[in-house]
Amino acid sequence: MGVIIGILSSILSIFIVLKRLSLIGDGLSHTAFGGLSLGYFLSIVYFVDIAPIWAGTIVVVLGSIGITKAIRSTKISGDAAVALFLQLGLASGIMLLSISRGFGFNVETLLFGDILLVNLGQILVALGVLAATLALVFIFYKELVYTTFDEIQARASGIRTWVFDYMISIVTGIAVIASIPIVGVLVISSLLVLPALTSIQIARSFRQTLILSPIFGLTSVVFGLLLSLVIYSAAGATIVVVGLLMFAIVLGLNKFKSATVSRTNRTVPR
Amino acid sequence: MDASPKTNVVVELSDVAVQYPNGVIALDKIDLEIIEGDLIGLIGPNGAGKSTLLSVILGLIKPTRGTIRLFGDPVTPENLRHVGYVPQKAQAMDINFPATVFEIVLMGRIPQVGVFHRLHQEDRERVGQVLRTLGIDELKDRKIGQLSGGQQQRVFVAKAVVGDPRLLILDEPTSGVDAQSKNEFYTMLEKLNRDMGITIILSSHDIATVTKLANRVACINTSLFFCGSTSEFASSPVISNVYGYPVELMRHTHHP
Repeated sequence: MGVIIGILSSILSIFIVLKRLSLIGDGLSHTAFGGLSLGYFLSIVYFVDIAPIWAGTIVVVLGSIGITKAIRSTKISGDAAVALFLQLGLASGIMLLSISRGFGFNVETLLFGDILLVNLGQILVALGVLAATLALVFIFYKELVYTTFDEIQARASGIRTWVFDYMISIVTGIAVIASIPIVGVLVISSLLVLPALTSIQIARSFRQTLILSPIFGLTSVVFGLLLSLVIYSAAGATIVVVGLLMFAIVLGLNKFKSATVSRTNRTVPR
Repeated sequence: MDASPKTNVVVELSDVAVQYPNGVIALDKIDLEIIEGDLIGLIGPNGAGKSTLLSVILGLIKPTRGTIRLFGDPVTPENLRHVGYVPQKAQAMDINFPATVFEIVLMGRIPQVGVFHRLHQEDRERVGQVLRTLGIDELKDRKIGQLSGGQQQRVFVAKAVVGDPRLLILDEPTSGVDAQSKNEFYTMLEKLNRDMGITIILSSHDIATVTKLANRVACINTSLFFCGSTSEFASSPVISNVYGYPVELMRHTHHP
């Protein structure tokens, strides 16, 4: 399960980081928090038969559409749009949860995640999301890369870039909601940034970025989970710490390399 | 492909006006025809609407009034595939983007290949050819961010040309490029126009160079002030009217 999340988020992170939307994960995870809270609120207080994960999914997809719409409009800047949805999700989530709290609900699970509480249903959902995302990235790979590289040039050459803008943010929203049970609301967004950020430091081509990013994502998830078991910490936090550590190491090695090796431009075919 | 009788008209604007949401009128009453094989210089002062005009042709901005025909048809994603576009350098890109020159030029083939199809060996070979033609073959494995401004501009031209366009649109391609690279760049454009028969629209501040290079000149400042052959332009008083001050056409003349 962690492996799935690792691969999924690290592939998405490439497009997110390069589109300069690094905070979209934060916006969407807090929107998801609001949605999940709504789900718990409805089921605990009003006994409405809706699984929180579905309420969360619906809200987060609407949030992704809203954020993308706001970013694409010229009236509001991208970071402000993300901030708006972050605040909306967080405030309404806290409000709904504080009402539900009297009914014996554990907020910590939502915030920090708990790998030991993951059930088969969640694994299947995450597997489905992973398969769908990989398929989308595979099918629309060249259009996604072009749109990410330069939206205006892509649009001027006849590519319907709005489709791909919405595609990335909706898929990211779904990835966020699928990852929350494991890593929690607070740190999922780092998995949507760090793998790409780390691989961009050393990749010599887009192809290499696409290979390195999942490697970094997977490594941080696997070692983060192991570390969490060893030191009895919430898994989300240790995953992020490992990710940050790798980023720091790569950055350091890069500095070291460029200091010792005089600039060579070794060429790798293609 | 286009059954219209005026097949040699590549771009046709009639009575085009653009007003931005903030009320600013960027373009007004523009009537302009660009003929196959033209190398047309689009000039005008800062804020004259040059970029807006190019954006309208590229379908990036919808005109408030008037019509645009591209190869005889309205602008659609389908006929935009036959247009290559080189944006202004300043806005062009993120220098940390992890892609090689080859990967970026290959993007220019994407519209030709179409959605749901993959890029093939022919597309890669075409990239190789264009890189050799433009003399940037040895840069193909370099990361785009490592190149100089002039080299980056060549890469963007390669990307625009690799899709075998009938029309190439360049928006102030040489701003921020040093004089030496600038001359090489213009020579390259001449070659594309003459040898490959690509119609070119070149917007520029650099009136002296444009008038040397282009066979026709369009001079705008919100509306169209002049459109005709370069020699007519050189002898017309329009230029000082548009700019509000006399402009030397031959800035590089030697004083012995």
